[in-house]
Amino acid sequence: MRVKIPRPSRIILYILLALFTILILLPLWTCVVTALKTSKEVILTTPVTPPLYPTLAPLIESLDYLKRPLMNSLVLVGSGVMVSCFFGSILGYVFSKRKFRGSIILFILVILCLYTPPQVQLIPMVRVTSNLGLHGNLGSLVLLYMLFGIPMCAFIFKTLYDEIPDSFINAAKVDGAGTWTIYRRIILPLSVIPFVVAALLQVVIIWNDFIWGLVLTSGKANLPVTVAMANLKGSFVAEWNLQMAGALWIALPTLIIFIFLGKYIIRGYSGM
Amino acid sequence: MDPKRKEKIITLLIILPALVSIFFFYYCFTGWNFFISLTDWKGFVPSYNLVGFKNYVTLFHDSVFWTSLKNNLLLILIFVPGVILVGLILAVLLDQKVRGESVFRTIYLLPFALSFVVTAALWTWMYSPKVGTINVLLGKLGLGFLKSGWITDPNIIMYCIIIALIWQFVGYSGIIFLAGIRSIPESQIAAAKVDGASSFTLYRRIVFPQLKASFVTAFIIFMCFAIKAFDFIWVLNRGGPGYSSHILGVAMYKETFAFDKFAYGAAYSTIILLLSLVIVVPFLYRVYRR
Repeated sequence: MRVKIPRPSRIILYILLALFTILILLPLWTCVVTALKTSKEVILTTPVTPPLYPTLAPLIESLDYLKRPLMNSLVLVGSGVMVSCFFGSILGYVFSKRKFRGSIILFILVILCLYTPPQVQLIPMVRVTSNLGLHGNLGSLVLLYMLFGIPMCAFIFKTLYDEIPDSFINAAKVDGAGTWTIYRRIILPLSVIPFVVAALLQVVIIWNDFIWGLVLTSGKANLPVTVAMANLKGSFVAEWNLQMAGALWIALPTLIIFIFLGKYIIRGYSGM
Repeated sequence: MDPKRKEKIITLLIILPALVSIFFFYYCFTGWNFFISLTDWKGFVPSYNLVGFKNYVTLFHDSVFWTSLKNNLLLILIFVPGVILVGLILAVLLDQKVRGESVFRTIYLLPFALSFVVTAALWTWMYSPKVGTINVLLGKLGLGFLKSGWITDPNIIMYCIIIALIWQFVGYSGIIFLAGIRSIPESQIAAAKVDGASSFTLYRRIVFPQLKASFVTAFIIFMCFAIKAFDFIWVLNRGGPGYSSHILGVAMYKETFAFDKFAYGAAYSTIILLLSLVIVVPFLYRVYRR
């Protein structure tokens, strides 16, 4: 649906859009220019002026600080995304195409998980991981992110599988194909987009998550990148260029995903 | 065995591992957390006693709890309507056959891509009183009298936080409403135009009333966020100065992991859960009734 407003107001329209653009980009802009300045230049120039003598030193120094946490976060994203997408896809398939009595109740219970605040799971999870001997190290987060994303993946897969007509699988049912065969032969080959949508969303969520890493890991070797960044912010208080450079490293992967693959992300978020 | 029955069992078996693990993680943990809130458990010492609702009584006499609840209420009353309103404005603007619409959409959505840790770092820099972007720009623009301590001032820090959060979520809010506007059938708009409706009447009479679903979606998402928020405020200023930007999530984290009062922290979590359920359960009930 498109409503066109009359001509003179179109100039105002573009002015407003440009104004919003400036407001949205201002914090990002000052982050980028500050990350490219020396400490001296940060003090001598305004936060919005581009650097006169651009330097990569803050980026290199902060990368050195964040190297290990970046690797940790990659490990978490890799393991978490694969497992939660796989289970989410199976749940989505059953809730969409193999409904049984009570399946809708189970589905609602899965959806409700999406809305539970993480605070209620923090303390029990600390208890469980310390009993398993995982508390403090990366294993606790690997375990967590495998479970954590399943409800959201199940929801995405169910929504997108609902778009596949039932007639596709009815023919196979008549031929006597079972639940698992139908999933493997018919649903899975049609699942490229659902997998892309769910996986990208999980990548962004796990990469950006903070509270779980804060609670479950300790010691620099085990931190995910967001927790390491919060520490960097705490320990280099006045060194803005270093802080902004660190923020930039963490922001880069998700910004790239949103810029180039944004339409998949939006599909995942719409209807939630 | 009857093949139909066999298929049913197989279906149940393939969903069982995932269902059991997430229900354990989400529901058993939630119950366990409530149980912990009824004890006097103090962290890593395994022994505890059941004390009934004593933690909740203490909670209701704790001024930090009321400060935190008040700040959550500020998020609910200012952040939620704010982000919905600005998002709606953005959606209406973007709906005007704008040239380069997808570019604008992508730009507006960029802050939503970022971790709260990143945005908290960005806004600490924006709000920094001495060298920060806002105060420096105000000075350059001759608006020096507007300079302020921003996040170092306990009286306005919550409003600073709300502005930053609106900045972060407004693109997402806009996308929700834009999708809603786009799903209204073209024919209705055409009919209204034939009747000579101005664009203002068109929006008021035809478009906005049909955005109910988008409003509900946005409301639920941002309400849930306003209740459980933690990351941004914690990284920005640890709930300070003093207790001025404490919210329930921050207080819960501090009680539990800084002061090792696990049972007391669990009582905080239970309150956060109850508030979320008050919002979400009626919503899910309405969506999935049938």
